[in-house]
Amino acid sequence: MGKNSNSGSRSPFRYGRRGFFRRLFTPILLFPWLSAGVKRWSKNRPKVGKLSSPPLLNKRSRVVIVRNPKVIAEGGRIDTKILKEMVWEGVRVALDKATPSEAWQSLFGPNDVVGIKVNCLAGMGLSSHPELVDAILKGLQSAGVKEEYIIIWDKSNRDLERAGFTINTEKQGVKCLGTNALRGGYEPEPTILGAVGSCFSTILTKYTSAQISVPVLKDHDLAGVSISLKNFYGAIHNPNKYHDNNCDPYIAEVNSHPDIKKKVRLVICDALVVQYHGGPSYKAKGAWDYRGVLVSLDPVAMDRVGTKIIEDKRQEMGLPSLAEVGRPPKHVATAGRMGLGVDKLEEIDIVRI
Amino acid sequence: MTSKSSRREFIEQSFKGLCLLGMGSYAIPRLSSKGALQQEPGEDELFVQEARYYKKLEELKVQCELCPRKCTVADLERGYCGVRENREGDYYTLVYSRPCALHMDPIEKKPLFHYLPGTTAFSLATAGCNIECKFCQNWNISQFRPEEVQSWYAPPQEIVNLAQKYKCPTIAYTYTEPVIFYEYMYDVAQAARKEKIGSVVITNGYIMEKPMVELCQQLTGIKVDLKAFTEKFYREVCSGELKPVLDILVTLKKMGIWLEIVVLLVPTLNDSPEEIDQMTRWIEKNLGKEVPVHFTRYYPTYKIKNLPPTPVKTLEKARDIALKNGLHYVYVGNVPNHPGENTYCPSCQKEVIRRVGYRILEVNLKEGKCQFCQHPIPGVWKSPLD
Repeated sequence: MGKNSNSGSRSPFRYGRRGFFRRLFTPILLFPWLSAGVKRWSKNRPKVGKLSSPPLLNKRSRVVIVRNPKVIAEGGRIDTKILKEMVWEGVRVALDKATPSEAWQSLFGPNDVVGIKVNCLAGMGLSSHPELVDAILKGLQSAGVKEEYIIIWDKSNRDLERAGFTINTEKQGVKCLGTNALRGGYEPEPTILGAVGSCFSTILTKYTSAQISVPVLKDHDLAGVSISLKNFYGAIHNPNKYHDNNCDPYIAEVNSHPDIKKKVRLVICDALVVQYHGGPSYKAKGAWDYRGVLVSLDPVAMDRVGTKIIEDKRQEMGLPSLAEVGRPPKHVATAGRMGLGVDKLEEIDIVRI
Repeated sequence: MTSKSSRREFIEQSFKGLCLLGMGSYAIPRLSSKGALQQEPGEDELFVQEARYYKKLEELKVQCELCPRKCTVADLERGYCGVRENREGDYYTLVYSRPCALHMDPIEKKPLFHYLPGTTAFSLATAGCNIECKFCQNWNISQFRPEEVQSWYAPPQEIVNLAQKYKCPTIAYTYTEPVIFYEYMYDVAQAARKEKIGSVVITNGYIMEKPMVELCQQLTGIKVDLKAFTEKFYREVCSGELKPVLDILVTLKKMGIWLEIVVLLVPTLNDSPEEIDQMTRWIEKNLGKEVPVHFTRYYPTYKIKNLPPTPVKTLEKARDIALKNGLHYVYVGNVPNHPGENTYCPSCQKEVIRRVGYRILEVNLKEGKCQFCQHPIPGVWKSPLD
């Protein structure tokens, strides 16, 4: 990842000169350039894009669960080598390819501009780990995606920084920024999707040709669970307006946005630590060192399997089910009914590694 | 004085001239010589202050007690308004001293027609709202989070200083929903009162009784947007509730604070004669004949763009119904040059205040009475803090 562009001391009240020019020119320099990348991708897409989305395997969704007890070493340090192997193997099996590189190349190509939508609301303890994203970056690079054409993003710079990411809006290197840091970061008009009316992040709609969703596996006090589908609440300007009724049908409707349906090619869920109770923020009491990564092409199947993991752990710990505490994850079934993926466990091919 | 500052003053005065000519509000070109500077991303912590109305729950959750929505908010989450955040079991406002809109407006723009007519209100808002009207004119700020809109750092005393500098007798909390920046509004109003500057709040009235009663100690006037007279409309078009708003209106009446009501009529959704009839009967019975009611015109925007602007005839019909139900001061809004913009004496029927748009053309009031027949006209006609 690139250098921190927020370094240096400035008056808390005034723009420093660099800050001023950066703010002024970043959208002008960076984003037309990325737009050009998207245009180039669009032009060349038939040669590169081999998949129609969502790319389901034999009409049966597969979720790969990769666990390795050694991925978290003593002191909580993440073994990046093991983590990379876990991610790459998960992607390989999810796509049923002979090698991981072949799998990455089947999803992404040199003309893609790829967004990596992380979930950083909960800070360092329970956000998408930068180490996991590094493993994904290596996968993308193996598929020929230039690092300048990769954007790690979430709702705000603050959340990204809190989770350990380094903001980079320079032309060189992998971009990393929050939608709120962009002028024109949201579409100028709301998109109406059922009961949802939201302005979507232009990082999703305008600046990328493909997305990888990198959620965290966690309990959520309103939605029941926050996994892949809920991750895209971080792509709209008004997520707080859609918390009623366990966020249903709002989560599913947000995910029915054409750019989410079309562009999200891969879901890699960070399950190194799972919050099975007390989410969405990190609480040691309800956290579990699961030491895993879940990989799927189907966000709904991912959420269904993730929910099962959380429910099983709750049962093991003597906790009531999510439905019993008034927050059944209804949005998963709603998303299934809307055709966004497979929500029935018996129709999901779960592979454990 | 340098030539540069002279030029700036000239521009400011020019804008002010336009404003006084009834051309609407103007943005303050530069807020002050020292404070109120533009905010840079990353400075969010400047605006954080503990909320005044909430209670703590188990597992680091909180329940907001500011508005009837009573959001239960988990750690690191925000309430419906988007401007209040739970941080490890404490609840904070994120918009203290963080206005995203600062303007000088004619008081008639609020609209407050019985409150110091012809004067200017120093008007401010922060981002956020506790409901979501699908016809919101200011959705670009009301429906966004504070870090997503451009803001300034302007502590309460700075706002008061600016109001004094621009000779505004009133500060108006408006544009978005002031309830959600309650702490900031309260402290500005308190500081303003010490300088004999009044405060008026332009609100949806969706607030709990206790904070409203306490806020009223600092206010000199209030305008409530009564969105409709059905729960269905509140629920489906505004994501709110009617009953708590009606309850607050009754509370305000009991408190004796100057109150005006605005009803924006949206074609086919809240403009039926039956609904207007029920609404105005309720107003007459519970708030009295003398509360001014403004029926204003809707224009397509935000999430309701498929309806035409409200026909003037609909507004006139609503006004007729309200007058027939005994209300004395009923206005037609957003239709410049309409006779329904004027204030008529309920006794002699003569024009006591003549208006075009936000301009006052004629005032025939003397010490709060009709100049022609001496009938008292209710309102705030001289500075309420003198």
